[in-house]
Amino acid sequence: MRKKNKIREGNPAVTVILYLMVLLICFITIYPMYYVLILSVSDPRAAATMRVYVHPEGFSLDSYKMLIKDMELWRSYLNTVIYAACNTVLMLLTTTLVAYPLTYKRLLGRKYINIFLLIPMYFGGGMIPTFLLVTKLGLYGSPLALIIPSCFSIWNIILMKAFFSTIPEGLRDAARIDGAGVIQILKSVYLPLSKPILAVIAVYTIVGVWNSWFSAAVYLPKTEWQPLQMFLRRTLVENTRQVTESLSPETMREMIKKQISGAQLKYAMIMIVTLPVLCVYPFFQKYFVKGVMLGSLKE
Amino acid sequence: MKKKKKKREKIKKSVIRENIQLYAMMLPVFLLIIIFCYGPMFGLVIAFEDYAPGLPFFGEGVKWVGIQHFKNFIEGKYFFRLIKNTLVLSGLNLLFGFTAPILFALLIDQVKHMRYKKIAQTASYMPHFISNVVVAGMVISFIDRNGVISNMLSGLFGLPNRNWREVASAFPIIYTVTNVWKGFGFGSILYISTISSIDQNQYESARMDGANRLQQCIYITLPGIKNMIAINLIMAIGGILGANSDLILLLYTPATYEVADVIGTYTYRMGIVSGQYSYTTAAGVFMSVIGFTLTYIANRTSDKLTGYGLW
Repeated sequence: MRKKNKIREGNPAVTVILYLMVLLICFITIYPMYYVLILSVSDPRAAATMRVYVHPEGFSLDSYKMLIKDMELWRSYLNTVIYAACNTVLMLLTTTLVAYPLTYKRLLGRKYINIFLLIPMYFGGGMIPTFLLVTKLGLYGSPLALIIPSCFSIWNIILMKAFFSTIPEGLRDAARIDGAGVIQILKSVYLPLSKPILAVIAVYTIVGVWNSWFSAAVYLPKTEWQPLQMFLRRTLVENTRQVTESLSPETMREMIKKQISGAQLKYAMIMIVTLPVLCVYPFFQKYFVKGVMLGSLKE
Repeated sequence: MKKKKKKREKIKKSVIRENIQLYAMMLPVFLLIIIFCYGPMFGLVIAFEDYAPGLPFFGEGVKWVGIQHFKNFIEGKYFFRLIKNTLVLSGLNLLFGFTAPILFALLIDQVKHMRYKKIAQTASYMPHFISNVVVAGMVISFIDRNGVISNMLSGLFGLPNRNWREVASAFPIIYTVTNVWKGFGFGSILYISTISSIDQNQYESARMDGANRLQQCIYITLPGIKNMIAINLIMAIGGILGANSDLILLLYTPATYEVADVIGTYTYRMGIVSGQYSYTTAAGVFMSVIGFTLTYIANRTSDKLTGYGLW
């Protein structure tokens, strides 16, 4: 037995090297975020040099205290929460409404519906025709442009259909004999058994909406309804919006007095926006992995 | 006899009633699909007309110009630059972005300490959840004149401190590193799970025969994920003309257009921002057709070589 173990483990030196490589890769993935964190909570004078590498130099939450007063930030935060909530609820609804009927073998024209769903997976109109169509529908500039065109997903429908097909038909037939109708069977048989797939779809939708900015860049020229990521883009990427733009004069004076640099404010902003995602990430993670697995089964 | 017929009719009636209910459920979503998925496909005809806002896609008032826009695009001065940039950026992505998840999966498979493995995996997915805007914001700040990466480069290699975002030759590297950093962990999920489902007895008997780690990897693990690699490669080749324009739009500046401008970003600037709808639609159609052809060829090749294809 001992001999076998020895063979299994291979050369211990190589094992150590492999473990160290994994460690290095983890370090590379985590360190950028860590750097942003320690810089944002460092003492403003140390942070201004940008040379804070290992741990926070001093400690100060002043940059966070300033940003909390930025109403534009909170407005866009609220917008994103609204978009995420609407899209998630509608996504679950639209996905179920199509996936469930497709489980009925007696559904007329099932084959044609499947083709109807498959074609858009391979072909599309592309950016400009979609933009023109949404504009023609009068959605340009309206927050609905970030909800209606994205509140359904054929991919999710196919995913959910595959999940439904694993539920034994005997359960449905039993409910039908008891006199349950189409809607009742959905409510009492299918939905209670489908919590895992509903969770996967919800998590993907929430994170997708939370991180998206491009459709807002295309459809929402006014800042009022823009989501968080657009606000960030203006501040962090394009520099068209000064990080101090919507701070009151008193806050500005305070900032100058405390010598908080623009870079530190930006880093604090990154943390404020990313922290919720990083906090729920450990809980969401398993649904993401599950989503990848379910997706691969469909290929 | 009569009873049976009656029964059959009853079933038929219930089937019809059921179908009406089911179709009523699906109808709203079908409308959405027709409008937002099929609608834009018909909108593609504007590639062959001189479309202006306010005009219809079809019918009266449409000015047909045939393939004029396609000609303008191919003969235009940016055509070569767009093709070159797209191929270079996607090629780099294919070379590193496609292989990194495989290499990471093979590496992490060597870690037999379950807790350590779990933590490493969790850490590796993390960048996937950070939005492109935040990632771009971080990168831009790190490579700025006194950013952490600029400092590191000047400290280690004596390079001058400068804003690397404005340096054209650095763009492909910045783009590729960012893409790999963001995607390698998430991309490895499927490979890791497939590897873990490989029959352990195979490794056992290979070890008995004296195979070392590398040999086990080459002769057992890699063949085990061969099909998955083939599928992902086909998809990657099909997407080679659709470089990640989301990230490029965030990272590039007019100073780096010459190496960073790809079809997606060009369409965005010329179409959405400058309003040349017909011209950019034609450019999009041209690229899609090539992309589709590439996928087809890749699929056929893979089918021949590995016996595995998408269709």
